[in-house]
Amino acid sequence: MYRRLLLSLQSATLRLDTWINRVLPQDFNPLYYTGGLSNLFLTILVVSGILIFLYYEPSLEGAYASVEFLTRDVPYGVVFRGIHRYAADAYLVAILLHLFRNWFTDRYREARDSQWLSGMFLLVVSGFAGFTGYLLVWDERSQLLTSLTVQALRSVPLVGDRLARVFLGGPGVSDTTLPRFLFLHVGPAMTLYVLLWWHYVRLRHPKIWPPSVWVLFSLGLLFILASALPATSGRPAQPGASPEGFAVDWFFLWPYVLARWLAPGWALALVVALVAYGMVVPYTLRETPEQRGVRALGQAVVVEENCTGCELCYYDCPYNAIYMVPSPYPGKSRAAANRKLLAVVVDSRCVECGICIGACPFEALELPRMLDKDVQQRIQRGARAAAPVGS
Amino acid sequence: MATVPDRTPQAEEAAPRVVGFLCDWAVRSEGLLSADDTLVGMPHVTVIRVPCSGFVKPGWLELALRSGAAGAFVCGCPMGDCLNREGNWIMEDRIDQLRKRLSRQKVDPERVAFFAFGLHEREDFLRAVAEFVDRVRGSGGKR
Ligand code: SF4
Ligand code: SF4
Repeated sequence: MYRRLLLSLQSATLRLDTWINRVLPQDFNPLYYTGGLSNLFLTILVVSGILIFLYYEPSLEGAYASVEFLTRDVPYGVVFRGIHRYAADAYLVAILLHLFRNWFTDRYREARDSQWLSGMFLLVVSGFAGFTGYLLVWDERSQLLTSLTVQALRSVPLVGDRLARVFLGGPGVSDTTLPRFLFLHVGPAMTLYVLLWWHYVRLRHPKIWPPSVWVLFSLGLLFILASALPATSGRPAQPGASPEGFAVDWFFLWPYVLARWLAPGWALALVVALVAYGMVVPYTLRETPEQRGVRALGQAVVVEENCTGCELCYYDCPYNAIYMVPSPYPGKSRAAANRKLLAVVVDSRCVECGICIGACPFEALELPRMLDKDVQQRIQRGARAAAPVGS
Repeated sequence: MATVPDRTPQAEEAAPRVVGFLCDWAVRSEGLLSADDTLVGMPHVTVIRVPCSGFVKPGWLELALRSGAAGAFVCGCPMGDCLNREGNWIMEDRIDQLRKRLSRQKVDPERVAFFAFGLHEREDFLRAVAEFVDRVRGSGGKR
């Protein structure tokens, strides 16, 4: 059932691609660059964030005023603020597209689970940084979000009070609160780069940047949005006041929208449950290769006699599954006799794609269940009818 | 290094033999091939399914030409959508290099080709193969 659902989602995703490819050249299909686009928006966020940081004053009295100053009096301040705001939304859209695309097209499990897991962490940390961004303005919305969050944290059994303390930087909202929020915004943003390292470490040549057409288009769109619909603050936060409603930003604040109907503690529990489910997704479908409809050809095997240590397979394997080690003994073939290095396949990373086989010019790699000699036979059988004159 | 032979005139008149490699993840393959690995409706085109277009050794394409095929092709997924992220880009590069090598050997480089078609693009794939067959019938057979 679940399996069937995933299969039809895969089919639908690829159908969508077909349509997009009719309109755009294949290599400009934005859905092929969701990861690169996320990275682009993250970079925009960092750059615009640094500019805003130069003007921001993390204190109860000064925060709101400093943001207003940036918006009203600093040349183009309103544009930068708007760009930071809309790039955050675009970033979230891009990573969600990235997540769903890779889920639906079956690119999340087995040898790719480390990308999936790091991706879940990236999602959580990004969401958190986005949320703390709303606190920094310190308007009524920030105040309401803060009090909801504190309620939610306090309702966590055992450690609740401490969590709330860590969040506020003290027992209640005080002078240390906004510096703490600032840290909770910038700190996670930096953590993203550590997580990105994890996200990329198993990939050779990760596509981390979209085609320049999309870079220009995204930048242009952000500039237009930021100028046409400037980001604004609500009314300044009043000590002791308890504001009710605010214009919600669904993307980042959906748990708070839920908090309208759910106790904040339950909304928090729901978020935790969703993330926990996300973490186990790659391990939910236990299927044999036959059930998945793929041929299990076996992991790549190095034919040690023939390997010359030329490193071509090492450069082409998309999963960094091949390591070059100092050759322990000389090879048998003439080309391999003087080798310095030997290729070794790390089984747990190999997805049986065979790309290394196409790379090896020395017949030193094989997929165990689709051997070179069998393929050669089939080629010759296919080409046989028009028997050549010579050779 | 063995050279790629000219095709016989008799073979030239018949439908030219073509050997292709098709990625498991590209065009949907149910009912695409007959029992002897040839394309349904195009018995002169043999298709070998591979786990990724990047699996194909350029040497195999040469072998196909050397063994008498008029042309050889590889079909992977749309560029940018390789399941293994890179297979089709790598293969496209390899075919470019192979073409250069073939021209140095005075073999028409148009006799090898790379296609990129997704799950739902079977019709386009078949059309591309048919065009390719026409093309190699015209030029490839003579050399
Ligand atoms: S088959 Fe080769 S290229 Fe593919 S993952 Fe395994 S070692 Fe890497
Ligand atoms: S490409 Fe072949 S010969 Fe070169 S290092 Fe890899 S296995 Fe060895």
